[in-house]
Amino acid sequence: MNPFAQVLLDGIFTGSTYALMAAGLALILGVVKVVNLSHGAFFSLGAYVAYILSANGVSHPATAVVLSCIIAFAFGVFLGKSFINPVRFHPFSVAVGTLGFALLFEQAAQMLWGPHPASIGAGAPWATVSGIVVRRWGVVSVVASAGILAALALLLSSRWGLPLKLIAEDEEIARSVGMDVEKIRYLTFGFASATAAAAGALLAPATSITPTMGRVPLILSLIVVIASGMENVLAIFLVAVGLGLLSNISAYLLAPQWSYVSLLTVICLLLLLRPEGLSGTVPGRDY
Amino acid sequence: MTGALALGSGLLLFLPLAGLDPFLLDVLTSGFFLACYVGSWDIVGGVAGQISLGHALFFGTATYSCALLTSLAGWPFAAAGGAALLLSTGVAAVVGAMSARLKGPFIALLTLALGEIAHEIMLGQTFFSPRGTYSWGGEGGVPVTLPWEALSPWAMYYGALLFLFLSTWGMTALARSKEGLIWTAISGSELTARASGVDVARHKWRAFLVAGFFAGAAGVGFAAHVGRATTSDFSLELSFQAATFAAIGGRGTIVGPVLAALFLHALFLGAGIAPAARVILYALALLLVLRFFPAGVAGTLRERLRARKMVSGGAGL
Repeated sequence: MNPFAQVLLDGIFTGSTYALMAAGLALILGVVKVVNLSHGAFFSLGAYVAYILSANGVSHPATAVVLSCIIAFAFGVFLGKSFINPVRFHPFSVAVGTLGFALLFEQAAQMLWGPHPASIGAGAPWATVSGIVVRRWGVVSVVASAGILAALALLLSSRWGLPLKLIAEDEEIARSVGMDVEKIRYLTFGFASATAAAAGALLAPATSITPTMGRVPLILSLIVVIASGMENVLAIFLVAVGLGLLSNISAYLLAPQWSYVSLLTVICLLLLLRPEGLSGTVPGRDY
Repeated sequence: MTGALALGSGLLLFLPLAGLDPFLLDVLTSGFFLACYVGSWDIVGGVAGQISLGHALFFGTATYSCALLTSLAGWPFAAAGGAALLLSTGVAAVVGAMSARLKGPFIALLTLALGEIAHEIMLGQTFFSPRGTYSWGGEGGVPVTLPWEALSPWAMYYGALLFLFLSTWGMTALARSKEGLIWTAISGSELTARASGVDVARHKWRAFLVAGFFAGAAGVGFAAHVGRATTSDFSLELSFQAATFAAIGGRGTIVGPVLAALFLHALFLGAGIAPAARVILYALALLLVLRFFPAGVAGTLRERLRARKMVSGGAGL
């Protein structure tokens, strides 16, 4: 029995699921060109959907993932079409508005389901390899997120991904060749929000479900996007797994709250070391 | 506008004499400090245009300094208040130096992360009372030892009101000074400001410094009023409230955010709405304002008024 090996394995499982969510955030940054602070709220939404389903006896992960994706897509399209698209040239409105949406969701979740942590049973171990327990949620999350990420990478490199790439590159040209840029933007926003909800639904058995649970994955995805850029899906995956390990190890060695603090410290350092970071990707005035 | 302000101050001065109930008096007193805090956000977030989402960091530094220095180190309140002001200004200097090279949304990320770090650390920190037997810290916070046993609520009310008048006057004067003009230029376009020979990084840093000072002053006053520093002083919700009230009142006008904070705080708290519901209402109001009044309610209305004046040839108000 080696507890540290268990922590590492679970870190890889959670990290690869965070990669799914981070890819969604990268998509928003590339196509919609905004820094979205509401991404974590969609993660919590997915986790709460999984929790409510399992509390009502539906414990198959696929149900939770599909249902939460549909709900998150609907909310994402609404947010993208009615709020993000009209204000996206005002960095202040985007930052404070998306944060406001996230806090709105947190407080609504607290009113609906209470501030106390809820949890789903992690289930019986699937396999035990020299004392390390492999559970269903871990295998399902890795397979599902790797699958969705691979599909996303394929889609982007096929002719279906061309409009997205063109908008990321130069939206004037995209508009001039007759693409409905606004529509592609809010659909992308909805789709990306669905990836966050899927990650939340997949990880729900592994975490305690609280209204503010989305803050950790939000910071983590922001780090991934700033550190690894928006194009390389493999880089996103690797950085996310690394951060998943970091957050699990600091939670194990120090205390659970330190995984959040360590991620916050990483993002501060990253911003200080790479201040030019993503400049050029976010539209608007020259600040 | 001047008439409305005079009426408002008259009403605020008259209310306690008109037999306002002690609960509402207390709500208004804490509202005065909150309003100063929101005004200080407007220095850096509105006038200088730097999106700060960690403003509670300066406020919380001040309240916690007051609490820890009086209760734990046994300092007199006046000395602790002075030290708290210095500390919050110092923290603002560090945050300002860190953000100086960053732009737009990335300042928002950095300040948000710094505020959350402070919040998490205070949430996990336990302090042992020097008299032993019990501990402070965590969500319940740390008590502030005050020099008075029980101050009359009237004295606190009028003291806080005077503090709000003075600090708002100071912040408005700064925003209208030459320094304030440079901040406005940076907010308009950093590139243009730099082209006109402005040392953008240094003036941004100064805006943080001034904002940290006034937020610290509000924190010291709040600590003196409430008698306790709690982790909500560092919370993301408090940072968000500053940006929200400023957006509703009109960013960059100082008086607008101050009045919006005072009015909404008094309205929602006075009506007895629970904290969670309050944050939801603030967030909804914010989203609607950002969507339909891009320059803030006061700002957009003023623009429309100005446009109408121009059409009617300068006649009007």
